[in-house]
Amino acid sequence: MRADRRDFLKKTGSAVAAASTASLWPDLLLAEEVPTTAEALFETRFGVSRGDMGRLLSLALGKGGEFAELFFEYKIANGVTMEEDIVKESSERVSLGVGIRVLKGEQTGYGYTSDLTFEGMSQAARTAAAIASEGGRVEIAPLRLRANALQVYDLERPFAESSLSSRMILLRQTYDAAQAYHPKIEKVRVSLRDEIQYVLVANSEGLLASDTRPQVRLIASVTAADGGNRSTGLSTAGGRVGSAFFSSARTPKELGREAAEEAIVLLGAVSPRPGDQTVVLDSGQSGVMIHEAVGHPLEADSNRKKRSVFWDKLNQTVANPLVTIYDDPTIAHFRGSHNMDDEGTLPRKTMLIEKGKLVGYLQDRLSAKLMKMSPSGHGRRDGFENVPLPRMANTNLARGESDPEQIVRSVKRGFFAKTYQGGMVQPSGKFTFSVNMGYLIEDGKLTAPVKNATLIGSILDVLPEVTMVGNDMGTFLGTCGKGGQSAPVTAGTPTLKINSMTVGGRS
Amino acid sequence: MMRDTSLTGLAESLVAYGTRRGADQVEVAIRAGSNFSASIREGELETLVEAGFRELEVKLIVDQKVATEASSDLSEATLKRLIDNGIGRARLSGADPFAGLPEKEPVKVRAEALDIFDEAVVDMSPESKIAAARRVEAICLGDKRIRRSMGAGFGTTIETLYLANSNGFSDAFRQTACSNGVYLQVGEPDNLISEGKYDYSRNLEGLRSPEDIAAEAIDRSTRLIGARKVPTQNVPVVLEPEMSAELLQFLASCVDGRGVYRKQSFLADRIGERVAGANVNVWDDGLMPGAPGAKPFDREGVPLRKTAVIEKGVLKSFLLDSYSARKLGMKPTGNGAGPNNLYLASGKDSPADIIGSVDEGLLLTGSIGFGAVPTTGDISRGAFGIWIEGGELAYPVAGITIGANLGTLLQQVEMIGDDLDHRRYVNGPTIKVAEMTIGGT
Repeated sequence: MRADRRDFLKKTGSAVAAASTASLWPDLLLAEEVPTTAEALFETRFGVSRGDMGRLLSLALGKGGEFAELFFEYKIANGVTMEEDIVKESSERVSLGVGIRVLKGEQTGYGYTSDLTFEGMSQAARTAAAIASEGGRVEIAPLRLRANALQVYDLERPFAESSLSSRMILLRQTYDAAQAYHPKIEKVRVSLRDEIQYVLVANSEGLLASDTRPQVRLIASVTAADGGNRSTGLSTAGGRVGSAFFSSARTPKELGREAAEEAIVLLGAVSPRPGDQTVVLDSGQSGVMIHEAVGHPLEADSNRKKRSVFWDKLNQTVANPLVTIYDDPTIAHFRGSHNMDDEGTLPRKTMLIEKGKLVGYLQDRLSAKLMKMSPSGHGRRDGFENVPLPRMANTNLARGESDPEQIVRSVKRGFFAKTYQGGMVQPSGKFTFSVNMGYLIEDGKLTAPVKNATLIGSILDVLPEVTMVGNDMGTFLGTCGKGGQSAPVTAGTPTLKINSMTVGGRS
Repeated sequence: MMRDTSLTGLAESLVAYGTRRGADQVEVAIRAGSNFSASIREGELETLVEAGFRELEVKLIVDQKVATEASSDLSEATLKRLIDNGIGRARLSGADPFAGLPEKEPVKVRAEALDIFDEAVVDMSPESKIAAARRVEAICLGDKRIRRSMGAGFGTTIETLYLANSNGFSDAFRQTACSNGVYLQVGEPDNLISEGKYDYSRNLEGLRSPEDIAAEAIDRSTRLIGARKVPTQNVPVVLEPEMSAELLQFLASCVDGRGVYRKQSFLADRIGERVAGANVNVWDDGLMPGAPGAKPFDREGVPLRKTAVIEKGVLKSFLLDSYSARKLGMKPTGNGAGPNNLYLASGKDSPADIIGSVDEGLLLTGSIGFGAVPTTGDISRGAFGIWIEGGELAYPVAGITIGANLGTLLQQVEMIGDDLDHRRYVNGPTIKVAEMTIGGT
């Protein structure tokens, strides 16, 4: 049944006044119409029926495309920030739209719109269709709803339903813990960002699948000052979690103290000793290196297009046998996890490097088809405005056997990397990552704290140099950028020893 | 494309609605327009994206308490609900005496005088856009040293910004932008280099020809073939315009009012002080016709202007939105969206003379990484370039890092080139700085 759009608007319009006084936080899911699935949401709220979807897919294949797909997205993102002792601002952002994709061989046509009237969507379908100009007529399979196999989110008490005042309590606890850590703490800024994203995918092969994804992140940024000397510490926690997370897994107090501690330590930090040396990567956040150095070059698109250094190295030894690396989008409640990817594919844990040998790539639908491999559930996109790309989810270097303390003890003179601002890699395999805080290693001990160092290297040179792998594990929470699109990810690693790597800094 | 009067009407009616519902101040901004992008790889059209977009943002202030709302769903029901929600949430925030819309200032320069909209961009057919990108790539692939194309692309944006607020401001302007370029891969399979060239312009006539873009992309990549590491040392460094622009981009984040009032900049509290050599003049001129960031007014309705940031080495002004201006007891500079057209003023030296003056040092042509900390001014990044020996370009280098401090670098700009242009939001000519630390073998 197709809901009448105009009637619907009238109904919501009159409900607004009442709802706004009852609830001060996202009341999009007005009590009378709480949808259980994204399909129900798009049908009841925006009047998009299965019949419409079928007609749009036909229109999209009207010029001879081989495959068509609709990606509907409705996302509500909230943010609250505390600074200078007050909640300075709160924000709410609604993203609504559909992206329509047509594939023909290696070619992609894409149109998108926020206008969910049938006319508006038809225009986007015709735009996407134009990538093809000839070819046989492809039959549209009848849409069948496919259920997801896993539930990797904590939707028990989603943040989207918690009140602004309960969010403010989290901010206040984090803020106060950071402020109280040390008299030299000068400024504290704490933000809580959460979103709920409804996704619905329908394609010409008859797949109809939906997902409802929560995402939360609490971020503390702390500046310490000592005379004219200033430093900034950062800490962050969250995932696809619910309200319970910050009272069990990670408390706001811990988060505030961590950022403050980093800022205070950095006040007394020295510059790194530049040049090639032995580097130990701490387990806490060093996953950023796995993400840059191994994850990106193993995304299928850059291998299919032969621009990754790994494209011709499948089944070859590329790393020390101590090294096993995989990506797993199905880890419960992790920031990079999903029940299905943005093409509706069910994800699976994907081995990339097994005991030093290259064994797999991260696949989306297009690359998998062209490479005659199977999709791994890593086709992701920033939103309805973007084409899907093969992307990482949660990338990990598997735990080893060495005691982390022994790893440090084995280094006579070197550098210990602890926290990061981020990293970057070129397809050619040259990567860099920026260390916010580290330590000098002298005679097997951590000595002076170090600020603002850069680690650079080339994947094929560095992977064989990983000579010790710790028996611990840590996770970096990040946002990955690729082709102008952002994606939430994590990257994990145990403590690692790298025999030789280039450290940059000022001397 | 005509200005869509219904969106002006929508912006104004939402301001009125917010006021009626109890907000003391309301600001509504709407961006609407269309995007096009075509990417070509190995001669074939790979991806074609075309779409119309609309995005609305509302700022609500109640009793000096702020909330913001944004939506790409412009249905009346959603927008009214968001405003009601925002007013409710604002009441729960903390009162901030500095919150508020900017004071109304007349917008004296009209969009028409700024040459930021080009009908030719609107009229250009998809076929000719695709052909232009294809041409760039074909020329590059004709050069045997190019191992692979990473893709060429042509893009256009056509957009109108509507802004209305409860201080009686209501205005709109439209703008266009186009780009064309390519990324290439060169070198040996296990020592690949990726480089390329993209050009940007407000108007089609200003966009460089496919031949020019291809020639520069070929030169920028092939000159790095066979790059090697150099030993760790401190040397003078020459920054090409793209790299001095990157340095200026870092300066822009250090003079951004929001970072300054948070004390997250080494330049906070230093207005009126000598922070650079007397030869350093940095301006932000948002009214330069045709510049990529030129506009009549910023995201808050504050008219753009020409601001002296550093004049003869003295720090004169930060880049301020209305909030950070009020926090710092200053006037907004029309930088609600960051730098508009920030640049280091041109000098008299030719790039060749600058390179010729270096006995041993680095010509910096590319860098990667995030290593730039406004709080301290420290810079630490991965770098690519050409080694200079006896005033001559000797051999390419890669796999090295550069380390420096912006505060020190600004004092040590030894030569400034005559090759400034305004093709991005932040621009610089070729410059020579006395010393950076190179991290290598």
